Amino acid sequence: MPNLTIDGRSVEVPAGTTLLEAAQRLGIYIPRYCYHPKLSVSGSCRMCLVEVEKAPKLVTACSTEAAEGMRVLTASEKVRQARRDVLEYLLINHPLDCPICDQAGECGLQDYYMDYSLRKSRFEAEDKILRQKRRAAGPYLMLDNERCILCTRCVRFCGEVTKTAELEVMERGDRSFIDLKEGRALDNGYSLNIADLCPVGAFTSRDFRFKARAWFLKRTPTICLGCATGCEIEAHHYEGTIYRLVPHPNAETNTWLCDHGRMTYKAVRAGDRLGKALIRKGLIDLEPALRETATRLEEAKGAAAVLGSPWLSVEDNAALARLAKDSVKTANYCFDFSAEQGIKDGILVNKDPAPNTAGTRTVKALYGGLSLEEFTGLLAGGKIKILITEAKAYGLVKAAAEAAGIRLIIFARNRGEAPAAAYAVLPYASYFETEGTFVNYQGLRRMTAAAVEPPQGIKPLWAVVNKLASYSGAELHLDSAPRALKDMDF
Amino acid sequence: MTDFFYENRDVLLFAGAAAAKLLFFLGAVMGFTGLMTLAERKVSALMQDRIGPNRAAVCGLTLGGLFHPVADAIKMIFKEDFVPGRAEKLLFTLAPLFALVPVLALFAVIPFGDYVLVYGYRVDLLIADLPLGLFFVLALSGLAIYGTFLAGWASKNNFSLLGALRGAAQMISYEVVLGLTLVGLLMIYGTADLQQLVRAQGKLLFGCVPAWGVVCQPFAFVLFLTAAIAENKRGPFDLVEGESEIIGYFMEYSSMRFAAFMFAEFAEIVLVAMLAATLFFGGWQVPYLYDAGFAFPGGGSMPLNHYLVAVLQTGAFAAKTVFFCWFLLVVRWTLPRFRFDQLMKLCWKTVLPLALLNILVTGAVLLALGKL
Amino acid sequence: MISVKKVNNRPLNLLERIYVWEIARGLLVTMRHFFVNLVNPKGLPTIQYPEQPIPLPGNARLRTRHRLKMRADGAPKCVACFLCQTACPALCIHIEAAEHPENLVEKYPAVFNIDLARCVMCGMCVEACPEDAIAMDTGEIPGGAVVREELLMTKENLLRNLPGEPSLVGAANRLANEYLRGKE
Repeated sequence: MPNLTIDGRSVEVPAGTTLLEAAQRLGIYIPRYCYHPKLSVSGSCRMCLVEVEKAPKLVTACSTEAAEGMRVLTASEKVRQARRDVLEYLLINHPLDCPICDQAGECGLQDYYMDYSLRKSRFEAEDKILRQKRRAAGPYLMLDNERCILCTRCVRFCGEVTKTAELEVMERGDRSFIDLKEGRALDNGYSLNIADLCPVGAFTSRDFRFKARAWFLKRTPTICLGCATGCEIEAHHYEGTIYRLVPHPNAETNTWLCDHGRMTYKAVRAGDRLGKALIRKGLIDLEPALRETATRLEEAKGAAAVLGSPWLSVEDNAALARLAKDSVKTANYCFDFSAEQGIKDGILVNKDPAPNTAGTRTVKALYGGLSLEEFTGLLAGGKIKILITEAKAYGLVKAAAEAAGIRLIIFARNRGEAPAAAYAVLPYASYFETEGTFVNYQGLRRMTAAAVEPPQGIKPLWAVVNKLASYSGAELHLDSAPRALKDMDF
Repeated sequence: MTDFFYENRDVLLFAGAAAAKLLFFLGAVMGFTGLMTLAERKVSALMQDRIGPNRAAVCGLTLGGLFHPVADAIKMIFKEDFVPGRAEKLLFTLAPLFALVPVLALFAVIPFGDYVLVYGYRVDLLIADLPLGLFFVLALSGLAIYGTFLAGWASKNNFSLLGALRGAAQMISYEVVLGLTLVGLLMIYGTADLQQLVRAQGKLLFGCVPAWGVVCQPFAFVLFLTAAIAENKRGPFDLVEGESEIIGYFMEYSSMRFAAFMFAEFAEIVLVAMLAATLFFGGWQVPYLYDAGFAFPGGGSMPLNHYLVAVLQTGAFAAKTVFFCWFLLVVRWTLPRFRFDQLMKLCWKTVLPLALLNILVTGAVLLALGKL
Repeated sequence: MISVKKVNNRPLNLLERIYVWEIARGLLVTMRHFFVNLVNPKGLPTIQYPEQPIPLPGNARLRTRHRLKMRADGAPKCVACFLCQTACPALCIHIEAAEHPENLVEKYPAVFNIDLARCVMCGMCVEACPEDAIAMDTGEIPGGAVVREELLMTKENLLRNLPGEPSLVGAANRLANEYLRGKE
């Protein structure tokens, strides 16, 4: 356990800790470009230079291990001069096209220039070495070599995390540049992490390209519902529109976020998002649609069935259970879902595509119900006239329901996910618009957060269920999400 | 059929003449009142080095803003007719009528010409020839106060009520003065019939000066004008409205009900101008113009057609009315508003004693001249 | 320190206290204005705005209606960096960025609206612009409109004012100018 002094404050760190990490423990921030806690150390950017007493020259804090009795200065005049010089060097050939660069506002060059340099360039704009401007480097990424500072974070990410190694530093010396290897494209399923990793605007997202400036975006921490992994993310949104999802690194689940998960926000503002209910494919306001649905439920008294969904939150599943038990008054309901869970590709993607399979178990524990096999058999038996369920969960019993010609009441957010045969399609707020509890494959209970407002007239699913129940003549008193969780034991 | 007409010829002619006079005079008055709303804005604009309204256009034609009264009327008609929830509905509705009807009724006794001969029948150029026309004027102008007070009270709004109270106090006070200033005229001309009053003003004093009211009673004229403006509730006596402080008794009114109040106010200006012309400036009299034509004091004369004389006299009356309307506008846009205590002080401590003094002096002079 | 100035109001003399003469004097002043303006309406200082232009002093710091500057080829100099929208205290600028298919300058404004009804003419957008693409030198004072839509300046309106001039400053325009130089 070496004991060292940084800026006059002593700290004891485990052996093998670098100076940068040791300083971080003391709350001292050392600027860096190439260093990333989850990637190997490269020491190529020279931004983290610090002064160590008795060392002949400045050392890189990211690659120097702490040693007993070391005395480190991170803010001496020599260090500050070195930072200014490193920045000036990095900016020699930088095109300074911040106005058209998506990184502007969250760019390492801009931030450190303001913090450590604020010096006029001594190089003429005309003398800059020009490199290739923007080009697509895969389905999700744009590469602009002119902005690159050769920190090689992207190269290391592809080599160490995805292990696909599409990127390489080509040429040598002042001619070097990052490029794809011959015949490769950045389509490894995690490529957008490179846009986050890149401290400058060399790699930018094609999806987010020119949509909004970074400084307008508001950040709401929430969770990804792309699969059972349940990564913690931040939704970046502005004036009611989500523009991108980025990972919120945490020790339990994720540092990165997969490309599939990043695109899940698109359904929220997709063109086929339901703003009204559908009855026999005809658009109709929610209230009359619920009245109509209640009438049909009344007709099919005793022959109705309710199926929960692992794509819905615990609250919404509980609301559906209450609907079946207290309003429809049937025992024909099922909240029994199981799936093989675990990381599929060794990084993040889960074998189970549903985000809340584990969560439905708590609903089943409280309300009981049929197993999925019994339920499917019941549907196939022809006794059931009407089925209430969520669009994706319907896929699990589709064959049986279609064969029996059951009338379908489907909860769906987008027109595309609802089956064409559905009698009524009821819209509900997505989990970017309302809170919901999900349990991931590790058994961790996490809440989504309302980042944006739902479309006019769209309510959370539990509220729609509450209304449907009251039209059916049985009040469920579900006036808030926590209310739906009443009696539930986690 | 012809027998019927022949037998009832007098009645029919009287009715026809009355209807024609009514249509002509009241139509002229109403039209002129509409124009007054534009004139007020134009006159004030010119006095303040501005242009005034000139934007309302029909087919790109503005005619110097002539369409603005029409635009105002259209706007007023289409505005929401709002009645406050706590207002007295009946009185709230009646108030604009109480404001408008007495004013319009008063125009009936104003002589706008001497007479014309139609097929040998003599038609007096006034709608109602009342022997006590002057008292009719005073009586009906006293009624106007009901419009003001009912509006303020029925609105159930403190500011409206405040305006109404001011209005009641002010109008009752100045009505006294208004009556007293006219006593001198009654003493001199010896008649309360307005047509006779105007005819009496056609005589000459000292053989050359027309015996107009303003010549015989100059002092009473100034007092009359003061009291009449106060009675009209216009600047500098517009405390009843007091735009900058309480808005006034019609604060809760909108749409055509409000328009009725505004129309009554402008009609009152016309009325005051006509009364001033009738009582003090010889009404329809043109100096030295008689039934047969001009007859100048020096001996010269100029015979004129009877109808030409009638047109000239009516034109003279119209010109005098327009002048006084303009004068009232100028006064309203020149003088600052009084304070309420100053207003009452002016009435009871200055104008009223002076009016009484005027009566005394008039009586004394008449006595000295042996005409009483 | 509050300084106190004593005003010695002259007591009114008899003529002034009688009041009538002073009223007449006041009336004469207003009547003079009335008749002078009636006879000579051309002497009125009123300007029939917006039909009649307002004469402006030749002040370099004068801020009038905006315009977008053009490059030599007629494209807007603006690269949709949103800095003017960020700087605008009245939230009157609305920009939608788009990508240029050719390698001119990759970003350009597909929509650039200035809502003059909201604009406070502060000139912050001009200060903020890194490409020198927006200017407030058209000499027009906005404001007179019958319908609000007339006050919404679109990109096309903003570009139409003065003939374009090739860009000299602005980093992103460097590419465009090189491209144009090569083209000539």
